Amino acid sequence: MVAPRHLAALLLLLLAVATVAGEDEGPRGRRLLVLLDDLSVRSSHSAFFGSLQARGFDLDFRLADDPKLSLHRYGQYLYDGLVLFAPSTPRFGGSVDQNAVLEFIDAGHDMILAADSTASDLIRGIATECGVDFDEDQEAMVIDHINYAVMDVEGDHTLIAGDDLIQSDVILGSKKIEAPILFRGIGHAANPSNGLVLKVLSASPSAYSANPKTKLGSPPSLTGSAISLVSVMQARNNARVLISGSLDLFSNRFLKSGVQKVGSKTRHERAGNEQFVTETSKWVFHMRGHLKAVSVKHHKVGETNEPGMYRINDDLEYSVEIYEWSGTSWKPYVADDVQVQFYMMSPYVLKTLSTDKKGLYSTSFKVPDVYGVFQFKVEYQRLGYTCLSFTKQIPVRPYRHNEYERFIASAYPYYTASFSTMGAFFMFSFVYLYHK
Amino acid sequence: MAGRRPAPAALLLLLLLAATVAPLSAVSPVSDAHRSAAAELFAPSADGSFGDLEKTYEAVRTFQILGLEKYKSLTGKACKFAAEKLASPASSAAKDLFHAVRISGVLGCSVDAGVYDGVVARLNAVIKDTNSLLEFYYSVGGLLSIKEQGHNAALSDPESTFHAIKALSQSDGRWRYDTNSAESSTFAAGIALEALAGVVSLADAEVDPSMIGVVKNDIVKLFDTIKSYDDGTFYFDEKHVDATEYKGPITTSASVVRGVSSFASVTSGKLNIPGEKILGLAKFFLGIGLPGSAKDCFNQIESLSFLENNRVLVPLILSLPSKVFSLTSKDQLKVEVTTVFGSASPPLKVNLVRVLGSDSKVITSDNKELRFDLENNVHYLDIAPLKIDIGKYSVVFEILLQEREHETVYATGGRSTENVFITGPIKVDKGEIGISDNDAGAVESVQKLDLLKDTRVSLSANHLQKLRLSFQLTTPLGHTFKPHQVFLKLKHQSKVEHLFVVPGSARQFKIVLDFLGLVEKFYYLSGRYDLELAVGDAAMENSFLRALGQLELDLPEAPEKAPRPPAQAVDPFSKFGPKAEISHIFRAPEKRPPKELSLAFTILTLLPSIGFLIGLMRLGVNVKNFPSLPGPAAFASLFHAGIGAVLLLYVLFWVKLDLFTTLKYLGFLAVFLVFVGHRTLSYLSSASTKQKTA
Repeated sequence: MVAPRHLAALLLLLLAVATVAGEDEGPRGRRLLVLLDDLSVRSSHSAFFGSLQARGFDLDFRLADDPKLSLHRYGQYLYDGLVLFAPSTPRFGGSVDQNAVLEFIDAGHDMILAADSTASDLIRGIATECGVDFDEDQEAMVIDHINYAVMDVEGDHTLIAGDDLIQSDVILGSKKIEAPILFRGIGHAANPSNGLVLKVLSASPSAYSANPKTKLGSPPSLTGSAISLVSVMQARNNARVLISGSLDLFSNRFLKSGVQKVGSKTRHERAGNEQFVTETSKWVFHMRGHLKAVSVKHHKVGETNEPGMYRINDDLEYSVEIYEWSGTSWKPYVADDVQVQFYMMSPYVLKTLSTDKKGLYSTSFKVPDVYGVFQFKVEYQRLGYTCLSFTKQIPVRPYRHNEYERFIASAYPYYTASFSTMGAFFMFSFVYLYHK
Repeated sequence: MAGRRPAPAALLLLLLLAATVAPLSAVSPVSDAHRSAAAELFAPSADGSFGDLEKTYEAVRTFQILGLEKYKSLTGKACKFAAEKLASPASSAAKDLFHAVRISGVLGCSVDAGVYDGVVARLNAVIKDTNSLLEFYYSVGGLLSIKEQGHNAALSDPESTFHAIKALSQSDGRWRYDTNSAESSTFAAGIALEALAGVVSLADAEVDPSMIGVVKNDIVKLFDTIKSYDDGTFYFDEKHVDATEYKGPITTSASVVRGVSSFASVTSGKLNIPGEKILGLAKFFLGIGLPGSAKDCFNQIESLSFLENNRVLVPLILSLPSKVFSLTSKDQLKVEVTTVFGSASPPLKVNLVRVLGSDSKVITSDNKELRFDLENNVHYLDIAPLKIDIGKYSVVFEILLQEREHETVYATGGRSTENVFITGPIKVDKGEIGISDNDAGAVESVQKLDLLKDTRVSLSANHLQKLRLSFQLTTPLGHTFKPHQVFLKLKHQSKVEHLFVVPGSARQFKIVLDFLGLVEKFYYLSGRYDLELAVGDAAMENSFLRALGQLELDLPEAPEKAPRPPAQAVDPFSKFGPKAEISHIFRAPEKRPPKELSLAFTILTLLPSIGFLIGLMRLGVNVKNFPSLPGPAAFASLFHAGIGAVLLLYVLFWVKLDLFTTLKYLGFLAVFLVFVGHRTLSYLSSASTKQKTA
């Protein structure tokens, strides 16, 4: 009963792998829905949209309260990703609501959400569901009197020059972001009970989230580096969500403007925003950090065919090929920390695979002297990369009766004793029967 | 809302609104940043072209307005591109001819008069046949451009063309695209006005003044539909947002500005448009800042150039190069009043009317005239004599044109409010920290704190004691300063943080932490706390975050129902690292004696059988009883051979056979042995009975 189902699944998997390999298609489609609360955002943030379009994305700009708005039709999603640049929208038009957006993410789609000080309960609600809690004070903004960007026309220190970035090449690209990132908006905190949220851009220890126009009575709820300015969340189904407390972060004005951090002599011609939004959007829309594993193989040392079963103490070789999507093609993934487990209820063997730098990971080990149904299990979870998790089941049997050692030197006395007795018996039979 | 009412009262209201609502974006004239942005946006592709004719025109026109030298180098390629289109006017659409002619006009390409004659004939033919607004626009625009280049471009029937275009207008000032469409559009209104302006300037004779008057009336109506933001920014947008026809506010406003200013420049007499709307439109286009797309850039720059030279009212923009003034560097309050492109304004006076504090309290209402620096074209005022302390202020300026007749040429907006910050260093002194006993109130240990640098005080307290911290902040003018951010942070070693706002009184900032009342809040966590003091304000130049030192706190044991400290976020890196390797520990093989010992015992086990053989020899055994008759002898031999075979089978069982094969052979042998054994033994027993009886 089980076997045919396994076979069908395997066939499907093979078919999927074959299509992926054949067309060299990325892990995600290229249709993005851009929801705006004001169509002027389309021109004021056009550089960001332009960079998405230049990367081949097909953007569909809609007003967030468009009555014809819909994410899916006939059970099929119309879009592969969502850019939610509509912070003040109290409710979406058409059939879209908070649950529809969350179901969209649950179905494995990606989202960029940008809020600002006008953020509505709807936007805050979506963020909360993604593990990010915006400051509850509706008037609050992130203020930093020590790490602000010097601008002749800005005096209230709400324009933050952020440079506390997460150390992750996969999220931020391999090129270091030199210039500070301009941020003006509201702060949020990553929910500590949610292990999937990462702070990408954190505020400095001197920052706090408060209303800049009124005196502070009680301590602000968010202060210091606990404030996250930009966070990302990668769900268990590899859907990626970026949440920014600033819509201006993506705007042409911040992308094109120069930046000088207070107290610093160097003035950067361009803020780090352009690089930051380009690189993070590459990550969010799976142009980087998406892994796939193909041709999972194992066999006995010296053989090439995959056996149906191993015997205890066999030496085996295990190999898997891992590739990363680079935006245009699948490139070999190079790392030194991919591990395989030989697993039955708990791992019996956990070994780091060695790589040939061309995507092939392999290792060899001896099957433990415990029999039962084992699994080759790879659970690869790295910061920023999609989770790789695949298993292959294999039974392990004990020795057969004739596979044990036959001539044991220490047993020779017993054998000799029996055989000499037998010889003596043979002779004795003559003597007993024919003696006269 | 308020902006729609053109009454002066509304204007005042608007200014007040602008004072309370922070502007969406700072408005400043077109600068070099725009030039570099334009050069970037209109980057030609690898072969030096900009795409189609329209994009090429937008590029060269933008470069021309911004005075970028770059467009000169493009002349050859773009001229050739345009000339290709112009060479075959009959087969080209009016739109292509329109753009090609305009490219030639901007770049000054040399085009043969004959070529232009052909184009003129073609465009006139288009005008005669069409009833579409866009066709009129392209054809009239093309003819106008040819005329401006010094060629003869006569419009065959200006009067009827004017009527044909006017026929598309709607009662609310909008236009339709053609006679068949019912939808009216603001964008089309701008196009139509530009086309009408073209017809008027192409016409040899004066166009019927009553018609001009009607159109002027339409323009006023069109301006009634203008939309506004709270900060005095005005823009045009379509009433009905239809996905296919929708152009966006920038394109729509640009179209109207182009149309209205073209129309105003060809007709005599004033257009009755309020100055604040013209100024609002200028603010709208400048408020875009650096445009993001080539199209927006073209629309922004061209509209601003039309506004700069329009005959209705030229907007003058009051801008502050800086809104942050430092008392330490004795900054001057500088105000620039320029046209949208940053060129000098006519002679005028700028007055500082009022300075309002952050809570709308009037700080000073003396009317002060700003001095004018002719060289830099800047109005300036020293801040120091104003005796304004540091803080955030709203400054109200008033622009007064010096010559009366300029008031009909320039739109100044009268008074304008700007939010400014005056910053300075704050003197921090009299810092004290100490622990006092609860009951007596006697301070045990007070330490002086120098808050200008990190200090490392070390304190210890139990739950019956209090922590006291006090310090003074004074402004350069000697007043007590109350910053926005005065936080004392206690950070436990388990990363649990507690934040306190240090309350300020008239004299000093002082906080007393009574640990008895705070044990619950501190989750009964004893141990080391790091103390941090953060003082910051937008007007404070020396905002600081100081580590004060450590506090060793001894709190009672937590009762059972005490609240648990909140969960702290775990470091994401610790979660993702590789796991420790596991290798299986195999069962150790059983211990065995050395081989020599086994062999020795093997020999030992052979000894009894050797003794047995020797014993048999000594007894003198014989086999004389072996049957002598051939039959029984054969059976006896077979019987012993069988026994031998069984024994041999046992040897084979050890050497190679398995149990099943052995048992199989043994079965056959057993049957055989029973048979031959029975024969042999019965023979032997009968022989022995015979012997006994004999």
